[in-house]
Amino acid sequence: MADLLPIEQKTDEELAREARAGSRRSFEELALRYKRRLFVYFRPRLGSDQDAEDLVQETFLKLYRNIHNYDPALRFSTWLYTSANRLAISSYRRKKTAAGRLGPEVADDSTDLAVRAAAGEMRSTGLWDAARTLGGNQYRVLWLRYGEGLTIEEIAASISKSRLAVRLLLHRARTNLMKRVGPAPGRAAVTVAVRETPPG
Amino acid sequence: MFCNLTRWLISRAEDRGKEVPRFAERHAARCGACREYALFAASLSSRLSGEAPAYLDKAPDSPLDPAAWTAEGAGCRTRAPFRSRFVLHPFPAAVAVLVVAASALVLFLVVRREPALTSTEKLAVIASLKSVVAAPAEFRVAVAEAESSLARERVILEKSVLSAVEYLQARLNIRVERKQAPKSL
Repeated sequence: MADLLPIEQKTDEELAREARAGSRRSFEELALRYKRRLFVYFRPRLGSDQDAEDLVQETFLKLYRNIHNYDPALRFSTWLYTSANRLAISSYRRKKTAAGRLGPEVADDSTDLAVRAAAGEMRSTGLWDAARTLGGNQYRVLWLRYGEGLTIEEIAASISKSRLAVRLLLHRARTNLMKRVGPAPGRAAVTVAVRETPPG
Repeated sequence: MFCNLTRWLISRAEDRGKEVPRFAERHAARCGACREYALFAASLSSRLSGEAPAYLDKAPDSPLDPAAWTAEGAGCRTRAPFRSRFVLHPFPAAVAVLVVAASALVLFLVVRREPALTSTEKLAVIASLKSVVAAPAEFRVAVAEAESSLARERVILEKSVLSAVEYLQARLNIRVERKQAPKSL
C-alpha cells in the first residue's frame, strides 16, 4: 500500500525502511526533508554556516553507512537526532582540540549572533531567533520538543540525558526565552491560561 | 519564593500533559508574573511550531553530495570493521612498556635474593623440627594443669548450689528433688 504512494507522501519511517532495504532514492528524500532541520539544529553551536553544512553532510554520510542499523520500531527523527548528537559532540571536541581552547561553540555563537544582530543582518525578531541565543542545550531541547515534536522520552534518548534533565532544560529555556522576548500576547486570556495547558 | 516552585510546576505540567497542581494554580491567580509565565508556557507550543516553517526557510538550501555517500559507503563495506579503531598512541604505549619492565625487574630481584639453604642451615631447620616434635609431652602437662584448676572450680560451684538449695528447703519448707543429675555434675 505504502509502495503505491508518491515518494513525497510517504512517512519518514516508510522511507527509512525502504532505504534500509537498499533504496537510495528514499534516503535522498529523507535527506532533503531533514537537511535544513539539521542545519538549524547544529548552527547555533558552530562558528559558521559552513561548519554547520559540513556537519549536516557528515551526518547524512554516517546515516547512510548505518542505515541497516535503523530500528523500524523507532521514529526516524529520534534515530536521526541521536546519531546527529553523537556526531556533533565528536565534532565539537575535535574543534576544541584544534582551537586549543575551551567552549568555542558557545563563545563563537554568542559573538557571531551579537555581530550579526548589530549589523542588522538578523532581520527577524521571531521566537526561534531568540531561542538561538539561549545556548546549546536549551536551544536543542526546544528545537526537538517544538520544532520536531519529540516526546520527553525521545529527547532524553536523543541527547543522552535523563527525562528529569530534559524537563529541567525545557523549564530553563522557557524562563530565559520569556525574559528575552517578553510575555505572550493576549493578556486577556491570562486567567484561564493555567487551566488550559495543552497536553504535551 | 513560591514563584520559582510555581513556574517549575507549570513547566512540569506542560511537559507531562497533566493539570497544574492546585497550589501553583492558586499562586498564579495572585501573582502576575507567574500568570504571565503560565500564559507564555501554554502558548509556546503553538507559537514555536507556527514559526518553525519560516525559521527553516531562512536556512540556506545548500546542496547535498550524494556521490560522497556512495563512495564512503562502498569504502566502508570493503574495509575491515575494527582496523581503523585500534590506534596505538605513543605516550600510553611507552608508559605501559615502562611499567611492565619495572615490574619484571622487581620480580627478578626479589626472586634472586632468596638464596638456597646451606648444609648448616638445613641442620638448624631439622633441630627446630625435632624440638617441635618433642613438645607434646610438655603440652599435655600444661593441659592437665589447666583442667585440674577447672575441676576445682566446678566442685566449689556445686557445693554453693547445694547449700543454696538446702537453705531454700529449710526456709520455704519445701522439698527439692534432683530428677537427674547433669553429666557434668
